Amino acid sequence: MSFSRVLERLVQLPIVLLGVSVIVFGMMALTPGDPVEIMLADQRATEEQAASLRRDLGLDRPIAERFVVFLGNAATGDFGISFFHRRPVFEVIAERLPATIELTLVALLVAVLVAVPLGVAAAVKRDSWLDRALSAISLFGVSLPGFWFGILLILLFAVHLGWFPVGGRIPFGAEVPRLTGFLLIDTLAAGRPDAFLRALSHLALPAITLGLPTAALLARVIRSAMAEVLATDYVLFAEAKGLSRRRVLFLHALKNALIPAVTVLAIETGSLLGGNMIVETVFGWPGLGRLVVESIFARNYPLVQAAVLLYAVTYVLLNFCADLLYAALNPKVRL
Amino acid sequence: MKTTRRKALLGALAAPSLALLPRASLAQGAAREVRVGFTQDALTLDPANHRNRETETIIRNMHDGLLTRDAQMRIQPEIAEAITAVDPKTYDVRIRQGIRFHSGDPLTAEDIAFNIQRLVKPNAMGGQTSPRKSLLGPVEDASVRDARTVRLHMAEPWALLRAMLPFQEMVNPRQVQRVGQDGMQTRPDGCGPYKLVDWRRGEAIIMERFAEYYGGSPEIPVAGPAQVDRVIFRVLPENSSRVAALLAGEVDIINDLPPSAMRQVEASRNAQVMKVNGTRTFFVSLNLAKKPFDDVRVRRALNHALDKNVIISRVLANTATPLRGVMSPDAFGFNPDLPEYAHNLDRAKALLAEAGVAQGTEMVIDTTGATREIAEAIAALLSRTGLRVRAQVWEGAVLSPMWQNAERRKDRDMYLTSWGNGALDPSDIMVPTLKTGGRGNSAGFSNAEVDRLLDAAETEVDQEKRREGYLRAQQIVSEQAPWIFLWLPQDIYGVSRRIAGWQPQADSRINLHRVRIAG
Repeated sequence: MSFSRVLERLVQLPIVLLGVSVIVFGMMALTPGDPVEIMLADQRATEEQAASLRRDLGLDRPIAERFVVFLGNAATGDFGISFFHRRPVFEVIAERLPATIELTLVALLVAVLVAVPLGVAAAVKRDSWLDRALSAISLFGVSLPGFWFGILLILLFAVHLGWFPVGGRIPFGAEVPRLTGFLLIDTLAAGRPDAFLRALSHLALPAITLGLPTAALLARVIRSAMAEVLATDYVLFAEAKGLSRRRVLFLHALKNALIPAVTVLAIETGSLLGGNMIVETVFGWPGLGRLVVESIFARNYPLVQAAVLLYAVTYVLLNFCADLLYAALNPKVRL
Repeated sequence: MKTTRRKALLGALAAPSLALLPRASLAQGAAREVRVGFTQDALTLDPANHRNRETETIIRNMHDGLLTRDAQMRIQPEIAEAITAVDPKTYDVRIRQGIRFHSGDPLTAEDIAFNIQRLVKPNAMGGQTSPRKSLLGPVEDASVRDARTVRLHMAEPWALLRAMLPFQEMVNPRQVQRVGQDGMQTRPDGCGPYKLVDWRRGEAIIMERFAEYYGGSPEIPVAGPAQVDRVIFRVLPENSSRVAALLAGEVDIINDLPPSAMRQVEASRNAQVMKVNGTRTFFVSLNLAKKPFDDVRVRRALNHALDKNVIISRVLANTATPLRGVMSPDAFGFNPDLPEYAHNLDRAKALLAEAGVAQGTEMVIDTTGATREIAEAIAALLSRTGLRVRAQVWEGAVLSPMWQNAERRKDRDMYLTSWGNGALDPSDIMVPTLKTGGRGNSAGFSNAEVDRLLDAAETEVDQEKRREGYLRAQQIVSEQAPWIFLWLPQDIYGVSRRIAGWQPQADSRINLHRVRIAG
């Protein structure tokens, strides 16, 4: 990938963000419901007090002025004050973001570890019982509602077997000083393997809940891509040369079969980061998804705007990374 | 190959063992610890900067107020030893001695005056006005009389003062100076039974026993420092997860136990269900500005048509108390002698026919997703009269403002809604919902006699005279039937048998000062 191409992609980013800003600001402004009404949802507040709160929140200004102020501030990294938390939006999001990223990364790891061997095995043993079983299981996995699956895991592994905790990130007494906000890293950095294990046990069920449906999708993609690659001449040629089966599969075939999987992974990473609100709610996981949905219902404009912008940046960067990976996996791809 | 398979098998077996390890040590550390599985995280830890019931429940364990309420909802002194009326607009508050904040600073009369001013003065919180100002009605200032007495000044007489003071908690003014207005959001310094250890946003709030606690209200046994070392509010927004955490022994109290899970909790050996009447009255508002609801016969017919006991038993799993009127039976001024609109379909049909309402007339009950099932049940039961009633679901943020505005609701029919009465006083619910032009008067009810009675009771200091006024007002409202009177839902808790000394209370507070480990 040439330097000019990279530069071009980076230049596109602010344009995308501006577009997203306009859309999200407009949509929040057009959505019926008044944050002041929600905050003072009781009988005692007078019109005067509502007006005072509206002034405090800056909602008494015309929408165009609010948008310009928002853009100006956002350009300097200032997303305003969260209406309900009464603290800077940046601070509130920063507290929650590491939990979401950590959960997403572990879920992706679960997905890849499950999907790659299963997808490859199904492709190699095409039309066997294994292939058919994988098809059925992956269809089931893709259709699994996260909410239901999560509750099921909790009932089995937390309530009946008592192997894993129901929710949260780490129990009291196992905390470590916050270094990165990623508990798996912070616990190791603090030299606390016991705390690491506890953090891992808290992560297990939500990561499996999120990771298995992704694994199902990924396994299907890898299976069909792998089956296609295995039917090509160069694989036949490699085998004819006398290369071992393992070498042919994992060094020659899998590398090419991973190209569509990378796209799926990039999209899934984006949706896991932005859309795991349900799993975060089920497991009491203190992540960003839950915060954003709560904020939408409360019409907490500054927080929703900042979070959507963050999601937009993440999506753009993930797609960018996927493009880079394409080029690395397949030199024929020129971006 | 065999070795690899064996390793994989061992790994699979080892995984649950690893998971077991932290759980076991967690249980050992929980001997003098009480954990609450709670629906929501605190929005802030500054008692003056929110309007959120859950936030207040958490905050109240770290901060005390001038007054509090016991589990029977009786108003009891806390920081205040006594409150006496100087005149209808002035009250003297005598402060208890020997109270300290968690930082060690002593609590003084100046501190109380500072807190009241911070709550009621415009722009008193770093240029911002406290969102809790309206909870103190006409209170406009506080001044120090002597080392132990603070005087509260009100713009007009206000009978609700004592009922509303339990909603305010006191902070340390020196802490405000130390950490600033913004710092107060996360670094509290109260004088309550527990002090903050850690606030893990969105996950948990951990507090530990404050050994120098003055003991709280002597009127509520047992006074003294808290009896457990640590309490933790764990945020578990999802109902099933909260129940699972209780059944797994990870938490000791859960709020908002769904009725569908009551049997499961009761069947478990380690937990029980506790219920208490809430403070929120449910009703169907009838749009009095629209035909045929302007005819009292139609309104009475709808009340006769609805068999609310069927809904309470089948939909609400017997977790609500039926109401004949507006007020909770636990509230001051409750009228126990109101006549009942007994379920009588024939009577309902006759009244509708008398009012000229044709069979098949369509009516719509507006509701939100949360109460959709109830609205549909009400619609089905009302349809037995020959009317065609259906429920329409809206988003709360849209529906509530629409019904608050006479112009915007002019084409609507009925509104399934509710109104909280945290003060357990008629003034707190009847004034906003039934007085002409009241902020929550979604029915558009207007009755000169009711207005007069409510106005008189607002400024009447003699509680017996107030009661009489409210009894009469409830009588008129019952006769006029601007609502279909429904019920008072109960708050349901799941409580571990491991703990004692705690019972639920109608204001939804989970005060853990007196909780202890059973046995």
